[in-house]
Amino acid sequence: MQDLLNNPAVQSSVAPFLAGLLAAGVLFPLRLGGLAAAAGFFTTVYLVGDFTLESLDSKRKLVLVAIAAPVFGVIADLAFKPTRASGPVLGAVFAAAGGWVFFNLLKQKSGLDLALHGAGLAAFVIWTVTFSVALHSDALRAGAAGLGLGLGAGVSAVLGASALLGQYGMGLGAGCGAFLLLGMIFGPRVTPGTTLTLTAGAAASLVAVGAVLTGQLPWYALAALALVPVAVLLPLPKAAPWMQAIVAALYAAAAAVAAWVLAWLASRGSAG
Amino acid sequence: MRTKVFGVLALVVPLAAMANPENYTIDPTHTSAYFEVEHLGVSNQRGRFDRTSGKFTLDRVAKSGSVELNIETASVSTGDNVKGSRPRTLDDHLKTADFFNVAEFARMSFKSTGVKFVGDNPAEIAGNLTLLGVTKPVTLKVERWVCKDNPMSKKPMCGGNASGSLKRTDFGMKYGVPAIGDEIRLWVSVEGYKD
Repeated sequence: MQDLLNNPAVQSSVAPFLAGLLAAGVLFPLRLGGLAAAAGFFTTVYLVGDFTLESLDSKRKLVLVAIAAPVFGVIADLAFKPTRASGPVLGAVFAAAGGWVFFNLLKQKSGLDLALHGAGLAAFVIWTVTFSVALHSDALRAGAAGLGLGLGAGVSAVLGASALLGQYGMGLGAGCGAFLLLGMIFGPRVTPGTTLTLTAGAAASLVAVGAVLTGQLPWYALAALALVPVAVLLPLPKAAPWMQAIVAALYAAAAAVAAWVLAWLASRGSAG
Repeated sequence: MRTKVFGVLALVVPLAAMANPENYTIDPTHTSAYFEVEHLGVSNQRGRFDRTSGKFTLDRVAKSGSVELNIETASVSTGDNVKGSRPRTLDDHLKTADFFNVAEFARMSFKSTGVKFVGDNPAEIAGNLTLLGVTKPVTLKVERWVCKDNPMSKKPMCGGNASGSLKRTDFGMKYGVPAIGDEIRLWVSVEGYKD
């Protein structure tokens, strides 16, 4: 059993998918099915076993911020009525948190380089969180966006930076994929809420930024990734939820695959 | 009583006068740190760090010394550094956040806390290794130590080899354990010239 749980594929796909499915299945009657994203992400974090508070490097700070996302999301879903400002405000909060996460890396830069990286980080996180949170009432689009963001950031991170960051992204995608599966079966009865959309937007964007700052993932791969929560807004066919979910997932996949291709081409093109 | 005091002083004062700590600066060209780690329970993979700096002091009379060695983590090299059609080499992977996280922790360092001598030469160096922002004690066993003049430049030099081991998970480097072994064997080859 332990050998199985040590397998990276199990850690970042099967296990987080099952955890996400369990969380979504048990909690969706309580309007907390969106915790599937967090269940998937933290299952991977637990199984990979890197997390510790002793040396808080960027990837460990990222996990701490990712813990805050579902907490904020649950509070927003249960205590507040969503407004148009929710997404940008939460985006700004998590962009600021991203500044803390990557402070050690940003402080090594200066002048224009620092300004470009800092502003780019903030813009990407705000954009991704804003467009993700806007999907809070649409189970299929939100699930598909979470799946695309997680897998897009994860595979791009594997290609351009670190396997560990990649696994985090894929675990998030697997959890969102489990939620999407439930959405395919139960349709609009399953609500993602800010719980899922904020977790997916914040965690995926920070994983992707981490891959740029600690590895060689090119910034323009983030531009492709930023299209994921926008692409799922394209029209869906008037069909059964399972068919709509597949189409939404294909929209998300198109942007995610574009990010992978850019990451792959950049990794082949760089020196070494 | 007075005779005893004078006796002790007579013994100690000349020794104290002879105590002569000598400072050496590490020659980076001939100083390297090597490591070995088990891979998939099959073979032992080896690598080295190409860029080092530091200094050491040696007092053969007082039988004391100290070492400070800094290692640039980005200089890690396993020999696999030609990417070809792959996304990255083994060296590239070792530099990522999975292992040495060189973007965030550009340097690891060893600072001695005590040096044991056998005869005139250091035999064991206890110290603290700081890696990935975590500091833990590591002891290096000195396997060879020689002081002499460089045959070409005639400059006084000392150097030798030391080895030790550590568990990488103690330093938070947990990626890939147990498939990629936890125990790391270390060898350090040092040469330094007298300041």
